[in-house]
Amino acid sequence: MIFAASLAAAVVIVVLSATALALWYERKLAARMQTRIGPQFVGPIGLFQPVADLLKLVQKEEIVPMGADRVLFALAPPLTVIFALAAAAFVPLWPGVAVVRSDVGVLLVIGFGGLAMVPVWMAGWASFNKYALLGAMRAVAQSISYGVPLVLAAMVPVILAGTMDLDGITQFQATHHWFGLWPIIPGLPAFILFLLAMLAESNRIPFDIPEAESELVAGVTTEYTGMQFGFVYLAEYVHTVVGAAIGSVMFLGGWDGPFAPGLHWLLLKTLCLFTFIYWIRWTLVRLRADQLMTLCWKWLVPAGLGLVFLSAAWNQTGWSR
Amino acid sequence: MAVIEEPRSYFHPLYDVMLSTPGLSVGVAPLDRLLTWGLKNALWVFPMATSCCGIELMASAAARVDLDRMGTIMRASPRQSDVMVVAGTITVKMAPRVRRLWDQMPEPKWCIAMGSCAISGDFYRNLYPVVPGIDTFIPVDVYVPGCPPNPEALMHGLMRLQEKIGLQREGKLVPSEPRPDFDAMVRPPALSRIGDAARAADLSDRQEQAALTMCPDAAPGVVEDEEKGFAQPATQATPPLNTELVELLRDRFGVTEFPLNAPPVVSADKHLELAATLQKMGYRQFLFVAASHRPAKEGSEDLCEVAYGLRTVGAGTKEAIWQVRVPTNQTVPSLVPLFAGADWQEREQYDLVGVKFAGHPDLRRIMMSDDWVGHPLRRDYPADKECAPWR
Repeated sequence: MIFAASLAAAVVIVVLSATALALWYERKLAARMQTRIGPQFVGPIGLFQPVADLLKLVQKEEIVPMGADRVLFALAPPLTVIFALAAAAFVPLWPGVAVVRSDVGVLLVIGFGGLAMVPVWMAGWASFNKYALLGAMRAVAQSISYGVPLVLAAMVPVILAGTMDLDGITQFQATHHWFGLWPIIPGLPAFILFLLAMLAESNRIPFDIPEAESELVAGVTTEYTGMQFGFVYLAEYVHTVVGAAIGSVMFLGGWDGPFAPGLHWLLLKTLCLFTFIYWIRWTLVRLRADQLMTLCWKWLVPAGLGLVFLSAAWNQTGWSR
Repeated sequence: MAVIEEPRSYFHPLYDVMLSTPGLSVGVAPLDRLLTWGLKNALWVFPMATSCCGIELMASAAARVDLDRMGTIMRASPRQSDVMVVAGTITVKMAPRVRRLWDQMPEPKWCIAMGSCAISGDFYRNLYPVVPGIDTFIPVDVYVPGCPPNPEALMHGLMRLQEKIGLQREGKLVPSEPRPDFDAMVRPPALSRIGDAARAADLSDRQEQAALTMCPDAAPGVVEDEEKGFAQPATQATPPLNTELVELLRDRFGVTEFPLNAPPVVSADKHLELAATLQKMGYRQFLFVAASHRPAKEGSEDLCEVAYGLRTVGAGTKEAIWQVRVPTNQTVPSLVPLFAGADWQEREQYDLVGVKFAGHPDLRRIMMSDDWVGHPLRRDYPADKECAPWR
């Protein structure tokens, strides 16, 4: 019990500090992609930039717009962080160890991912601002739609490994093969599908129409000031970091790796996926709302159904055994 | 004159606790250093970019200067911004919006006036719709001069702002300095402006004639007359009007004069009939309505000249242009019932010149703000103190 609690505390601290680092990392990466330098003057190579941002956000005046639903307005930003962090509890850190080991880990992780949309809708509704409301509406529509291919993609490793326990999936990959690499037909496309759906779930480019600046000012966060905005901002990164970790657990073998299996492999894989996500973010343009839905319902969902069928077929061959 | 704000008194509640608790007040100085360090290094900019300075503002976030090096990024929402960079000319109609966005920013906040238009209005200063400097309605912390200032200058401005933030103690903002009295510093223009009562009576007329000669239809081969200072029309000019229109006007509307450098004058009561006839003849596209004001002189009363243009659609396009002259206090029949395209254009002429159009469905101001007094393009418009009280 004490071990689980301290592990949970450690995970929260690690995820939050990794998120702070991710803020810096993303800005540096984006700058490099645009032949800029990025944060440079605040601490060595700009490493303290997130600290300065945080210190500033804490000092800003908290404004609640007239006509806003005060309770929901205040509650939504912390909740976004909590729900985003909750999914981190199920990530197996090294063989047999996770903050929460559950037989239905995959289901819970996806469930928390979907739950993260509730505070977004709360924020959009409570802000009493048309841009916030429109942004929230888009975010929820998008999240519900992309939940379907996300679940279908997550079904592939579940069927292949024969378990919904995230640690069980990793164990299976450690003893057999990483699902992102083999079987190449349901595995690799399912991995790509998972990444796409996860990007859409966390509202990142190219799926960031909920905060399209040219149309919606700042989307859901339009009315949030100071640390309230900081929470939403943070949650977005936590979501991406945790999503990258889940992706590497389900498709890239998690803690499994050559030489010594352990946490370092998970962190390395997460970092790679994270970089890939930001590479996409700073390279592609955003999709239009109708293109987004077309992509989801006409292409990704049928593809996901096909992949589920194929992975069941693969299981029947018995080649994995 | 400049509006000077009371020093704003927002400071973080943490200071309240620290200053009121004995023993904790020792921590105020280190806290000041810590918090100002945070404020200094995360200046998020709200880009209030209205014109060419905005391009330099964008450039300063891009590769060569890269404001992100000092932790400065652009935020689209005023709620998450710390610095409003006003880059560009601010008009009277825009000023309340700028002020509102400024009010929506959370404290602590700062303002940078980027470029000479934002600082003083620069050479648009004497125009009727331009605010002479944004510090007439919001407190400015740093002025970045230039037209436009280059990105390096903006970065320098941000660094000066950082210095200023570093000076603040106990969370209290350093108040912005009252601006110098520009009116006393700026030399009045040597030439009297159009609104000047002492202006020579024929000057307006000459200027108008010169403007007409610039019209390519009126006079090919304009020659410059250096003595008079205005271009004079060449003597041999081809008739600009199309013969169809000339015949129509002569036979059915009793027009006898067809001047070379101006559209033929049609009386106001026959104007609508003419437009309807032309529309039936195939002139189906509404081109323009342009009005000008002719102040009273000996021999003529206070007039508004309203010129209309129609065009045929398709190959071999023909244009029909005529004008209506009415005393300023009388109405011109509106063409909106015939041409929907006339709607906003007639509103514009009403707004700027003050021509009243009878039968217009929605005759409101379109360019100036609703509470604007007078019509700014009238020759007798008092362009100075009366209609622009901030000057």
